[in-house]
Amino acid sequence: MSSIFVMAEHRNQALADISLQTLSKGRQLADQAQTELLAVVIGKDTTTYAEKVAKWADKVIAVKNDRLEEPLAEPYQKILAFLIKERKPKIVLMGHTSLAMDLAPPLSVELECPLATDCTDISLQNGDVIVTRSIHNGKVNAAYSFAPCDTVIITARIGEFPIEEGNRQGQIEEIDFPFEEEFNYKKFEGYVAQEIGGVDITQADVLVSVGRGIKEKENIEMVQKLAEVLGGEVSCSRPVVDYGWLPSDRQVGLSGKTVKPKLYLALAISGSFQHVAGMKSAKMTVAINKDAGAPIFKVADFGIVDDLFKIVPILTRKIAELKDN
Amino acid sequence: MDIIACIKRVCDTSEADAIKIDSSQRDIEKSGLAFKINDWDEYALEAALQLKEKLGGTITAVTVGPQEWNDILRRALAMGADTGIRIDHDVASEDPYIVALILKTVIQRLPHDLVLFGAQSEDFGSGQLGAMVAEMLGIPHATLVVSLEAEENKIHISRELEAGTLESYTIELPALLTIHTGINQPRYISLGGIKKAMEKELQVMSPNDLGLSVDMLIPMVKLKRLELPPKGKEAELITGQPEATAGQLAKTLKEAGIF
Repeated sequence: MSSIFVMAEHRNQALADISLQTLSKGRQLADQAQTELLAVVIGKDTTTYAEKVAKWADKVIAVKNDRLEEPLAEPYQKILAFLIKERKPKIVLMGHTSLAMDLAPPLSVELECPLATDCTDISLQNGDVIVTRSIHNGKVNAAYSFAPCDTVIITARIGEFPIEEGNRQGQIEEIDFPFEEEFNYKKFEGYVAQEIGGVDITQADVLVSVGRGIKEKENIEMVQKLAEVLGGEVSCSRPVVDYGWLPSDRQVGLSGKTVKPKLYLALAISGSFQHVAGMKSAKMTVAINKDAGAPIFKVADFGIVDDLFKIVPILTRKIAELKDN
Repeated sequence: MDIIACIKRVCDTSEADAIKIDSSQRDIEKSGLAFKINDWDEYALEAALQLKEKLGGTITAVTVGPQEWNDILRRALAMGADTGIRIDHDVASEDPYIVALILKTVIQRLPHDLVLFGAQSEDFGSGQLGAMVAEMLGIPHATLVVSLEAEENKIHISRELEAGTLESYTIELPALLTIHTGINQPRYISLGGIKKAMEKELQVMSPNDLGLSVDMLIPMVKLKRLELPPKGKEAELITGQPEATAGQLAKTLKEAGIF
């Protein structure tokens, strides 16, 4: 089999965690197929990243250019298309990140190669690449194969592939990429930091977290009371912020905060992987949800399959009583 | 501003507790499940409506699917879209590339300053379609858009990165955006809107009408089979009436030293 490419991502001067995950998976696949793993790093100054990813790779292709300070999809697409055409890897692997969402689909169209996104497993079976995706709200797994082709592009779900320490010392090949195009049609204007609110949920020992099932803003008060009696704070999943019921600094998950409380009490939260990625390090997780099939029950230590509106008032009272005794 | 909003119909599995794989092993049993417009697409439609209210122009809602999918086009019309177009092709579990090819062929025949998609679908969640169509049309794009302001020839957007950070861009029109949830609050549909939507004609065409032959629509990514995820770890369930379960949970939390 021809080589495997892993595109390593960096933001804010740090190599992204997902890249260590994709490098670990890429290494494993390359060993199985007895082929080379080529790590691709792109940036203004790639030296530190290149040295780090070299631990997993047989070769590092470090693409440097002064105009590559920010990871932007358009120049990345030009560079990757050039490298893929030149070296014809069998697999191009990257994380399923916001960058990849902008980048991978156009790249696959430009190169006319198949694309599978947000994969939870990648395997080689008799030389064929097979991927698994999690569909229908995490309730079904789908296995896919690819039509015969030179290259397949795969993006890997964040947090799905364990990081295994690399022990190689891949050779670093530096390329200056002298592209002319200005990409004036899409001008990067800068980063916008999230608004900072009064409460830092990452510091709370107890989080009482609500999902879409809380139904309306007025019902947050009931949850607030439970959080108070437990000495904790209220947090939430994405829909609650989307609906404007709680501010975005209360959001737990990939696009929000990562929390590690002693207790995470998930109320009417289904447990999408984006949400779970932000709370899976909680010491104890309890889920209350009407839907017995909700994926949160696979993450929780204890669960009650019931309506939160029935349970929460009683639970608040029972905790208050036990505290008094 | 002429806007095209591409939408899809999904089955709602968010609260379905026992999903079954059907005998083909390539689809789930749909009986008993409700169908709806994809969540993200509703935000895309609302974004289109708000732009039209400010700048004038037209909104065309486009979908690729079988006849039952007319209901989401009617919904789009009821929200305020001007025209609904359905390309009659069964896309169940299809490679997004094929759907992108069909949509690109439709869109390039229509006037378009801005093409909007939902950032991903609730059922398959590939998040590929919009950015693929942009590349096929040769227009700039941005995915995961959470704010949007338009001028005559350009738009200012911000898109969501990881961990609560956003990045902003100015993009020349025509352009394609995929819209993330939370960008707006999709409006409720009025009875008057529903009545008006029922009176409008939907345009239906086949891939063949668009000059796309069967051999151009062969997927490169092939669904092999569906499986239920392995059982794995499950929470220890506390069962009984609310008074008993809540009481037991309070005790468990106390014993764990939570309070």
